Amino acid sequence: MGEIFKVGLMLMLVAVIAAVALGYVNSITSPIIAEQKEQAKLDAMIDVAGSLAEGELLFDSLSVPELTNPYADVDQTLAVVSVTDSTGCELGYLFVAYGKGYSSTVQTMIAVNAEGIVTGNSILFQQETPGLGANVSNPEKFLYQFDGLNASGFLLKKDGGELDSITASTITSRAVTNSVRYGLDALADAGLIPALGGAQ
Amino acid sequence: MSLRQEFSKGMMKENPVFKQALGMCPFLAVTSSVENALGMGAAATFVLVSSNFLVSLFRKVIPAKVRIPSYIVIIATFVTLVDLLMNAYLPALHQSLGIFIPLIVVNCIILGRAEGFANKNKVVPSIIDGIGMGLGFTLAMVVMATFREILGNGSWLGFNLLGTAYQNQPLLIAILAPGAFILMAFILGFFNIMEKRKRGGAK
Repeated sequence: MGEIFKVGLMLMLVAVIAAVALGYVNSITSPIIAEQKEQAKLDAMIDVAGSLAEGELLFDSLSVPELTNPYADVDQTLAVVSVTDSTGCELGYLFVAYGKGYSSTVQTMIAVNAEGIVTGNSILFQQETPGLGANVSNPEKFLYQFDGLNASGFLLKKDGGELDSITASTITSRAVTNSVRYGLDALADAGLIPALGGAQ
Repeated sequence: MSLRQEFSKGMMKENPVFKQALGMCPFLAVTSSVENALGMGAAATFVLVSSNFLVSLFRKVIPAKVRIPSYIVIIATFVTLVDLLMNAYLPALHQSLGIFIPLIVVNCIILGRAEGFANKNKVVPSIIDGIGMGLGFTLAMVVMATFREILGNGSWLGFNLLGTAYQNQPLLIAILAPGAFILMAFILGFFNIMEKRKRGGAK
């Protein structure tokens, strides 16, 4: 009996030291990591919004009603940011599309102008297969096709549309494409961009 | 065994992948490009050296009956620490290696060396063993990734080797999972033949 206690105590000691060390390091690093994530997101916003207009831009969060996104594994509120220039003239919107890919939920930031035309994009997060789906982050492989499209353009060739998918990564390509189309449709439903078949 | 031998045995004689057939999961999973193989190799080497160091330092303190769970706690703690610190202070590196770091926990080379070497040896040889095994693992990963990237993508470390015409229609299976198994069979088969020849010659 005594030995079991001794051995168990040693294991507990190892685990306690490990837990304390992890807790301590986490308490130091978590604010830095959070700040960096925020900064990276802001950088991406400025970068993607730069496709709407040159010069200083102002961002303002909008709330678009909660949506049931069939392309993500969780219901996501579509976070939309309106972009205006320094004179207050409305240029367009930024939003993040969530699409369930092969091994992660791919987050794509999209800039869309007031006419509903996509002008810029950036993958914020993905953990797809290295060498295959992860190529989604490489603009030359896939995202180059996005600029200049409206909601109706976001459909893969395999699904009857015009977009080439990434070789051997249809699931990832489809996740991004469909989630962006879904986001654009949601913006149109909210009256922020013209609905298809309407003004055009 | 001299320190020099401790170091060099990991490369060929006791190469973790080719000879011990350890670490097959990352060997198959992240060798689709040379860049990934180098990244995984570097991250695994670092954790291997650190865990060998700690395990050999505490080899007399940890009771034999609970050594395996203790090693797992040590390794998992180390991997998490590396993940957190890298995320906070080297975000660019974390971006490219981030997905491999959690995979290191399940890399059995690290537990294998803790159990097979570090808990029986002094600190310095354990560190040397960790470096040698880590580099041997990296070497194996790069060999495999070289085959896969050239065949499957026509490039090596991102440089286009075989031309755009090949890249448009590559031997895609090489970077898909089945190609990894097929190539692994050839590579391990090659080393087994070598081994047999060597033994046959010695008789």
